[in-house]
Amino acid sequence: MQQLTVFMDIESSRSYIDELYSPDATKVVEALVTLKNSVIGSNRQKSSVIQQGVVPRLLQLMSDEALDPNIRLEATITIGSLAKGTPENVATLVEQGTATALVELLRTVPIGTKLVEAGLCALRSVFLHPPAPIAALPADMRLLTRLTQIAREGTATARCCVVRILSVWCGGHMEQEALCQAGACAAIAAMLANGRNSAPPLARALPALELLANMCFENGNVSQVALNTRHGDKTIPELLMCLVSRDKPLPVALGAARCLTFIHRAGALTADDNRVVFGALPCLARLCTKEMPEEIRAKAAETLSYLAEVDTSLQRLAAISNHLMSSLADIVNCPSAAAKQGAFKCFASLGANDEDIRKRIIETHGLMKHIVSEMKNPEPSIRLAAVRCLHSLSRSVQQLRTTFQDHAVWKPLMQLLNDSPGTELLTVGSSTLCNLLLEFSPAKEPMLDQGAVEMLCNLTKRPEAALRLNGIWALMNMAFQAEQKVKQRILCCLGTEQMFRLLGDSDTRVIMKTLGLLRNLLSTRQHIDAIMSEYSSQVMQAVIVVLEGSYPAEVKEQALCILGNIGDGERARDFIMANEDVLRKLVDYLAHPESKLQEAALFVASNLVRCSEAGAAARQARLADLGVLRALKLLGARQDAAHLHDNDFFSE
Amino acid sequence: MLFDFPKMSFDTSNNSSNKEERKYYHDRNKPDDLQISRTDMNMLIMNYLVTEGFKEAALKFQQEAGLQEPALCSSLDERIMIREAVQSGRIPDAIAMVNALHPELLDTDRYLYFHLQQLQLLELIRAGRAEEALAFASATLAEAGANDNNALTELERSLALLAFPDPHASPFADLLLPSHSQKIASELNAAILKMENQEYTNPKLCSLLRMILWSQSELDKHNIKYPKMTDLANATIEQPK
Repeated sequence: MQQLTVFMDIESSRSYIDELYSPDATKVVEALVTLKNSVIGSNRQKSSVIQQGVVPRLLQLMSDEALDPNIRLEATITIGSLAKGTPENVATLVEQGTATALVELLRTVPIGTKLVEAGLCALRSVFLHPPAPIAALPADMRLLTRLTQIAREGTATARCCVVRILSVWCGGHMEQEALCQAGACAAIAAMLANGRNSAPPLARALPALELLANMCFENGNVSQVALNTRHGDKTIPELLMCLVSRDKPLPVALGAARCLTFIHRAGALTADDNRVVFGALPCLARLCTKEMPEEIRAKAAETLSYLAEVDTSLQRLAAISNHLMSSLADIVNCPSAAAKQGAFKCFASLGANDEDIRKRIIETHGLMKHIVSEMKNPEPSIRLAAVRCLHSLSRSVQQLRTTFQDHAVWKPLMQLLNDSPGTELLTVGSSTLCNLLLEFSPAKEPMLDQGAVEMLCNLTKRPEAALRLNGIWALMNMAFQAEQKVKQRILCCLGTEQMFRLLGDSDTRVIMKTLGLLRNLLSTRQHIDAIMSEYSSQVMQAVIVVLEGSYPAEVKEQALCILGNIGDGERARDFIMANEDVLRKLVDYLAHPESKLQEAALFVASNLVRCSEAGAAARQARLADLGVLRALKLLGARQDAAHLHDNDFFSE
Repeated sequence: MLFDFPKMSFDTSNNSSNKEERKYYHDRNKPDDLQISRTDMNMLIMNYLVTEGFKEAALKFQQEAGLQEPALCSSLDERIMIREAVQSGRIPDAIAMVNALHPELLDTDRYLYFHLQQLQLLELIRAGRAEEALAFASATLAEAGANDNNALTELERSLALLAFPDPHASPFADLLLPSHSQKIASELNAAILKMENQEYTNPKLCSLLRMILWSQSELDKHNIKYPKMTDLANATIEQPK
């Protein structure tokens, strides 16, 4: 046996590498062992050896079924050691076909042998370096079934390795279904079951939980299967419930809570199920507390945000816990990006639907300051998370007037929106802006100075429907009860051409909000007269376009309301009276089968013929000529028109 | 968590204190209901011997104490040999044995690998082969030192020994003592046990002693007077003043 010297330099290593090609099996084994001992523990040696081109020979020795099993084993172990080197080492290994060769090995070598274990260890090490060579593992059922068999029957090390590999491999729907079909759930259940001391060892439980989470994510079918899979007398959910308890190691509890969360969100467990309410939820809340390590808290907050994202009852339940708000606020303070993101997302979820919760969140000590400052964080994902949080809170109408004004949240928001943000940030940010521009918000004026109108008008030109909608909706809110100069600015900036384009938008909501904008612009007498004096032909044209076109009833209703508003303007109403086309349409709509359109038409008519107004008589006469009176009388006779008798034109 | 000692009133000659003091006292001469069975103690000793690799002693003890077959983990023989190799300075042999038993261990725990390499370096220094020592350090140890600040500090301390004409008299002489290689040998032993998913990588006796120390420090924090074990090796208990 070659003497082990104190250290090997590059020259002397050549000699034993040459021995790898010897026909003498004993010499080959010796050379392999020496090689192995030289590379374990040293990245430098690994790189040197790889550079000398030893990998293809090792793969050969590993794969050749005719060779002495000892040779195959030592070659595989050596490959495994090389795979624990630098990312560059692993990349080279993959390039030279290591992953594929290892997968081939796993197909053929009997389960339970040391060779299979070594091969799995090596493959696992390769897979842990991103990007994992997923393509080397094809989704064929025979192979996957073999792997899940190993996960049930192999040695402890083999089982852990296989599960790790599969959890990295399981990247999408196809892989989830394939693994489910191959029986992965049963293997997972076995690994989560109790070992000694009534708990599975950490090294076994963690990879199994990771795989289960990856398989169940957004997959209702697999989640359902997991729900019903048993090991012994316990189903997977029951096993998970054991693992979320206080006496279990933190990563295990977190992993189990995560699985339950994913299974619930995929639809297999309802929000009021015990396992969600008494299992996942309290565990995640507990893992957010200050004593927990930062990494655990970050992940727990993120998972909790996903759990409570849509269901109000879960949001309320989570918010009941009196420590959660302050715990989350503390997580925002943590240095890492993951922690800040997780906490903001969690606040956003909790405050999504319930006003009381929002109030409590906003009142959480120091939070608003954090949100504002993190909106200026250099890391884009943190900025986005902060804006999401703000968006959720901005649904609180009560707070708009006070807290949001106090903290001048619009300043950093406008800055973000003007700073060529990505689509996601633009969508959430503009939605938030929309809310901030609601009637109660005193922040309107300063926002105008920051170029809000121009920015919103630009949004209405975007290809993304959500952005156009946010843009026009925000403009609509801005115009509500606004001063004339604001309204003028909006009209001027948007332009009538753009408005017409929006009236023909593919998304009905955009059309509705555009009409809503027009309606808001045309409110209060002076404004109506002022705007109509400048834009009468375009406005009338817009109304006619909608009334004539094949729009749904609610859209036409809006157009009629606009007409009604115009009818209220002292001088503006003349534009209607002068337009015979419109008047004839009015008569038609008074007799329309759709009752809300009738009512809207009635609103128009009532404004036109009001007795108290100057020139009413002349207008009444004109309308009578066109048959309006006849239509009104018919309307009055209808049984469901009782409320319409309130209008003053019935009382002559 | 405080041990609930039976409360006994203590008849003092000093009658100045009227307030009845609660005394946490165990009077060794009086019988009590704290039973510690011989079997428990034997198991603890057995566990110690097996974990630390005293195979012969374990087998003999098993005979003499009449215990059932101990749970000798499969690697007991190997661990004994590895420990011997480390403590007698045959590091390459030890590394080869570890690699044969658990090939992933030293790749995963580079700090441990560094410690083993460091022992090799210390062997060379102890033998007075200074030039070889330096060459060895730069060829192999420098890598670990570059990646880990702790390793770098220890490397510097080791190499500093070369600056002294008599390393055994230097401030870093502790590195050359057998206690250092024993420490590394135990580290290695624990790592092997951990790799085998053994629940306890340290003997349970260790945990017991730690429990005593922790309890005592908790009591001290609250300024409570109690009989304190001041010398663990001899289990000397001092009465409170």
